[in-house]
Amino acid sequence: SPTGDSWGIFTFLCAALCNLPALPALNCSEELGAGQSIQQTYDLTRYLEHQLRTLAGTYLNYLGPPFNEPDFNPPRLARAERVPSATVDLDLWRGLTDNARLAANYRAYSRLLCYLRVLDGQVGTAELRHRLAHFCASLQGLVLSIGGVMSSLGYPLPAGPAGPPAPPGTPAAPNDFLKKMDDFWLLKELQTWLWRSAKDFNRLKKKVPPAVVTLRLEARGF
Amino acid sequence: DSHVQYERVGADVTMKCGSMDWDAAVTWTANGTDIDESHLNGSYLILKNVDLSQSGQYSCYEGSSWHLKYQTYLRVGTPPKEPVLMCRSNNYPKGFYCSWHLPTPTYIPNSFNISVIHGTKDMVCEKDAIPKNRCHIRYLQLFSTVKYKVTLTVTNALGKNFTTLTFDEFAIVKPDPPESVVAKPVPNNPRRLEVSWQNPSSWPDPESFPLKFFLRYRPLILDQWQHVELSDGTSHTITDAYAGKEYIIQVAAKDNDIGTWSDWSVAVHATPWTEEPKHLTTEAQITETTSASTSSFMAPPTTKICDKGAVVGSGAVAVCWTAGLVVAAYSVLFI
Repeated sequence: SPTGDSWGIFTFLCAALCNLPALPALNCSEELGAGQSIQQTYDLTRYLEHQLRTLAGTYLNYLGPPFNEPDFNPPRLARAERVPSATVDLDLWRGLTDNARLAANYRAYSRLLCYLRVLDGQVGTAELRHRLAHFCASLQGLVLSIGGVMSSLGYPLPAGPAGPPAPPGTPAAPNDFLKKMDDFWLLKELQTWLWRSAKDFNRLKKKVPPAVVTLRLEARGF
Repeated sequence: DSHVQYERVGADVTMKCGSMDWDAAVTWTANGTDIDESHLNGSYLILKNVDLSQSGQYSCYEGSSWHLKYQTYLRVGTPPKEPVLMCRSNNYPKGFYCSWHLPTPTYIPNSFNISVIHGTKDMVCEKDAIPKNRCHIRYLQLFSTVKYKVTLTVTNALGKNFTTLTFDEFAIVKPDPPESVVAKPVPNNPRRLEVSWQNPSSWPDPESFPLKFFLRYRPLILDQWQHVELSDGTSHTITDAYAGKEYIIQVAAKDNDIGTWSDWSVAVHATPWTEEPKHLTTEAQITETTSASTSSFMAPPTTKICDKGAVVGSGAVAVCWTAGLVVAAYSVLFI
């Protein structure tokens, strides 16, 4: 059946595109120190947020109305739950340990990157493909940067760069409109995650002074 | 029996004298003053094209007995125009508030009803006692992708109207202006002004949600503002002030990452430090004053410190200046 085929393609694409070689970049961040890495990661989220504004504008115009209308406020369908949401209870968010905070960011961006890469393979215009490719490259940089911070603080990276792309059995969009809805929510969640990450890394900045990491480097005989 | 009657401006109003027949002999009064018979159609009172000044108490008395047969309070007004609604989060991440008003008065009592919907969920906006026409909501979740939809309905006896606002959590973040802005001259620095301020007290968590600031300043005599954006800290030293000119200074705040800038703070005025003006004097008086100032500001110990150092360069000058200032400060204390 057509739905089955596209689901299969989706899974394959995600598996193929989500094999990120994460290790080589880590050595660089360790030398810089976690404090500086956190600052860099923070700066990256701000840069990405800025980039996303242009990308989202272009993409939503490509999708056409009503997706590009500023008041567009659709109900969130159950299928949209696949995309990792930044929404969180306020007290819970405040109480997150550094490890949990970083891991949540790492997992979210890994999966968002995966979905974006699938998008990249499907869009029509050359301009959009170019923008998406550029954005994906920057987003990959962010994932690596977060991974670097986690490693320099001694935290294990969450299992697998992407985990399962989606719970098995969830069908790919059965029609064009729902596919566009998926894209809309993906961009929305990405935008919200970038706003949230700025706050996450603000908190981490205050809690991890650079001095902590230099001591660790000395202990290793650097 | 008496009751209240609401009518639109410009309407034609017909008042009946209770259960009296049309051809009964009656007298109408408006706020105690008799109304001329020309306004009557039988026992009915006809008011054409009513205006606001015709609001008041209307009474109808039976002709001969002067019994009060009917009384009504006429209130002339208008149905409400579309209300103006504004929502803002000046205490992020605690929540937000909405406030509203009518663009033009209706002259009659209005009631307001506000509803807040977040996705599929209805939220309660708690009305504030002061100011009126304001309510607040606490966020249950943070970093929401779903928009908030706020609908305000205004109703009065002559009609109703409403307005809706739809927004994202991040879009309405706007702090209050910084507080306690203070600008001071810097002694012995004719081009400097030291400005300091505090985070707005309504901002609950500047640690996790730091604010950045925008400072603007200009001498009163010029129209052009100078701007400085500061990503942290609550103080700044202006180093390019025009000597001797009074400055006006304001500060604004914004969440580091989201939302919009606050309004400008209350303006403060300051003039940079200037040297004491020297009076026009004769040659003899000049030497007298200079020798006097020498003895109070350049005591022998100071010059000794500088000479002893025997270091050439601006560093030594700075040391001399600092030492001189310290001694000057102490000598002032002992006066």
